[in-house]
Amino acid sequence: MTPIETVASALGVNSWAIRERAGELLLETQPAALSGLADRTAALGGRLMSLFATDERSDAGRFVVHHVWSLPAQHLFLRIAAPIDPEAAAFPSIAAAHPSANWFEREVMDFFGLVPLAHPNPARVAHHDDWPDGAWPLRKDFRGDAPVPRVGGEFHPFRPVTGEGVFQVPVGPVHAGVIEPGHFRFGVAGEPVLYLQVRLFYVHKGTEKRFERQSWRRGLFLAESVSGDTSVGHALAFAHAIERIAGTAVPPRASAVRVALLELERLYNHTADIGALATDVAFTVPASRAQALREGLVRLQDHVFGTRLLRGTVAVGGVKSDLPPAARDRLRDHLRVFEKAFDELITLLIDAGTFTDRVDGTGVLGTQAARDLGVVGIAARASGIDADFRRDHPSDAYDVVRFNVPVEPGGDVRARLMIRAREVEQSLRILDQAIDLVAATPEALATPVPDVLPPRASALGWTEGWRGPITHWIATDAQGRIDRVKITDPSFLNWPALVDAVPGNIIPDFPVINKSFNLSYSGNDR
Amino acid sequence: MFGILARSLKTGVLTESDPFGTRAAFGFPVIDFSACTACGECAKVCPTGAILATDAAGVKTLTVSYAACIQCRECVVRCPEGAIAVSSEIEIAAYTRGQLARTVSFDVDPATGRSTLRGLEPEIGPGLAQSAARLRERIHGRLGRSLHVRQVDAGSCNGCELEIAATTNPIYDLERYGIHLVASPRHADLLLVTGPVTRNMEIALRRTYDAAPDPRVVVAVGACGCSGGLFGEGTYASVGGVDRVVPVDVYIPGCPPRPQAILNGLLIAMDRREARVPAPNR
Repeated sequence: MTPIETVASALGVNSWAIRERAGELLLETQPAALSGLADRTAALGGRLMSLFATDERSDAGRFVVHHVWSLPAQHLFLRIAAPIDPEAAAFPSIAAAHPSANWFEREVMDFFGLVPLAHPNPARVAHHDDWPDGAWPLRKDFRGDAPVPRVGGEFHPFRPVTGEGVFQVPVGPVHAGVIEPGHFRFGVAGEPVLYLQVRLFYVHKGTEKRFERQSWRRGLFLAESVSGDTSVGHALAFAHAIERIAGTAVPPRASAVRVALLELERLYNHTADIGALATDVAFTVPASRAQALREGLVRLQDHVFGTRLLRGTVAVGGVKSDLPPAARDRLRDHLRVFEKAFDELITLLIDAGTFTDRVDGTGVLGTQAARDLGVVGIAARASGIDADFRRDHPSDAYDVVRFNVPVEPGGDVRARLMIRAREVEQSLRILDQAIDLVAATPEALATPVPDVLPPRASALGWTEGWRGPITHWIATDAQGRIDRVKITDPSFLNWPALVDAVPGNIIPDFPVINKSFNLSYSGNDR
Repeated sequence: MFGILARSLKTGVLTESDPFGTRAAFGFPVIDFSACTACGECAKVCPTGAILATDAAGVKTLTVSYAACIQCRECVVRCPEGAIAVSSEIEIAAYTRGQLARTVSFDVDPATGRSTLRGLEPEIGPGLAQSAARLRERIHGRLGRSLHVRQVDAGSCNGCELEIAATTNPIYDLERYGIHLVASPRHADLLLVTGPVTRNMEIALRRTYDAAPDPRVVVAVGACGCSGGLFGEGTYASVGGVDRVVPVDVYIPGCPPRPQAILNGLLIAMDRREARVPAPNR
């Protein structure tokens, strides 16, 4: 059987109903069929990666709800799309059976005014309380270039707490450290946390709206600014989608440089996170060492690419920066020294009982919970889930480099630390191969991409960033400009897991648990 | 334990004695106006409106604002005359948005349509020295030896936070200047604010400002904090630059500004370094 026939028979549809384009399968269906198809896709091993809507009222008189699934065994993505009648303005929810759809469906409700029917908790997720009813930013008739008046009324009710000695601790949106804003509401009995509620979207910047009617040239800069620590990851997901729409093949050298860029981004973030975990348990020696190692990496990036945080390195159609021989030598020399210092750092941490006491068994996210919630990326791999787009859906030169996908079963802070440490080891292996690949490829860095894209086309772009899988689904309008970009940062799929991992721990352990996930607020809120 | 000590002694001091004077590969755009034809291509490709072109009744102008520049180099690539380069200077900060912008005007010959350079327009608003004196007067020398800073992310992509956090690492070590990052605005002399200020952070930023004791200094960080940047001003979700919500004393442009640029801006707010904005012409 071909992969399409396998998928079609598992889903119970005719194989001619499924079309394939650039690694993405498309099944157009009716809303009533969405729930059954979701169940059967999950049974096939599918993992929900994104869920969003598009406003196609002016062209086709309809909204469309899209479910995007990763099918790791088939190395394919499946997009299931169903038209929604604008009069009814409602679609069937799959969130009760597939909790990872929970926030996605509520976001569709907030941004498009489409109601998820039979959703277990159909409350706002993106809009704050002072946002008026009846204003839906991603509808095409909402211009978005003017402020919307605030409305008064009742404040978002947090879950009440009752009982002797039980009280609430509100934290944020302005936090004590140099971190992004969000509101946490802890229900506590003394120190132990009974439950945690999270309120986000404080840094919602209207990014997806801002892409609309733009050229891809400008779009690339927005993509780099979705989450400042993941410039390469988001730029690559964006570039992949535009390249698939334009039918552009990236030169071999660019594919190799892209792998090097993505792994460097992983290295500097993992190193910084490991240092921050030490900071959060007040273990200053390794914290300082990790900061120095991280600064060494960003200075290396500055030296080689002229940019500390790797902005402006990815081009649509290739890359903007090359790795000439001198830069390759510099990279290898630096990484050789780094590897030794990094090993020492990890030994220093895990040999210290004062450190392991704080991280062992702290903030446990069990494998079943992680699976049920659809958790992705490092958080998933630290809870025993073996998934990585670099292996399951390789793009750029990942199909030719050899590496392992580390998995840790523990699900605690220690496991999320060890996943990072082991991934650093793999990244160094990958970088070594990527540098060889660069040396072995002709010098072309980018394939030109026309300013005007094919009209009414769409494609999915994806990559495995350091936090986890990133997808950008992009559609063009009748003029070949960008009509819709749906950005899914792994943080959006993982925030609900934090709410599961914190209860039962004590409040002073919250910072280290939160840091061990290190989810992006900006990537989540956009 | 002894291993840790021995290793630390062997490592020695990592802090750079003078972090300033760094040259960067990609600073801000500088334009050779003798080669510029005022065609306005740079303004068309600029993703943030950092370069604006006007064309009215025989006069063309070009305004270059470092406040909004994200250092993307699109203008450099697109200029048909090759008249735009990027400087290597990054330790830039000013007291007003206006001080980060300069306008150049061109006379247009009605017969041929050719533009000839008229010159750099005079700066509008107070100059750097005047603003420095005003800030000095307002804070009465109460800051300078020690400064407590509360960082507020009012909508940033987190890029600026990464570089602010880097100023605390052993290499830059901002504490040697007597600067401490504190956990509460009630302990703060200065708010270090990144943007764009979102609709959903506007009230929180106002409250944080109100909670800080007088005299308080506000420093806006990054292209978005200085101008709204890529996310614009007055959209449904982005209010815009920090000065749209609270008064700003010092602007640190860049996307993101480097740790040296952030340190430079903080020391300018403390009246310990002099603000400098290079002219956008070369």
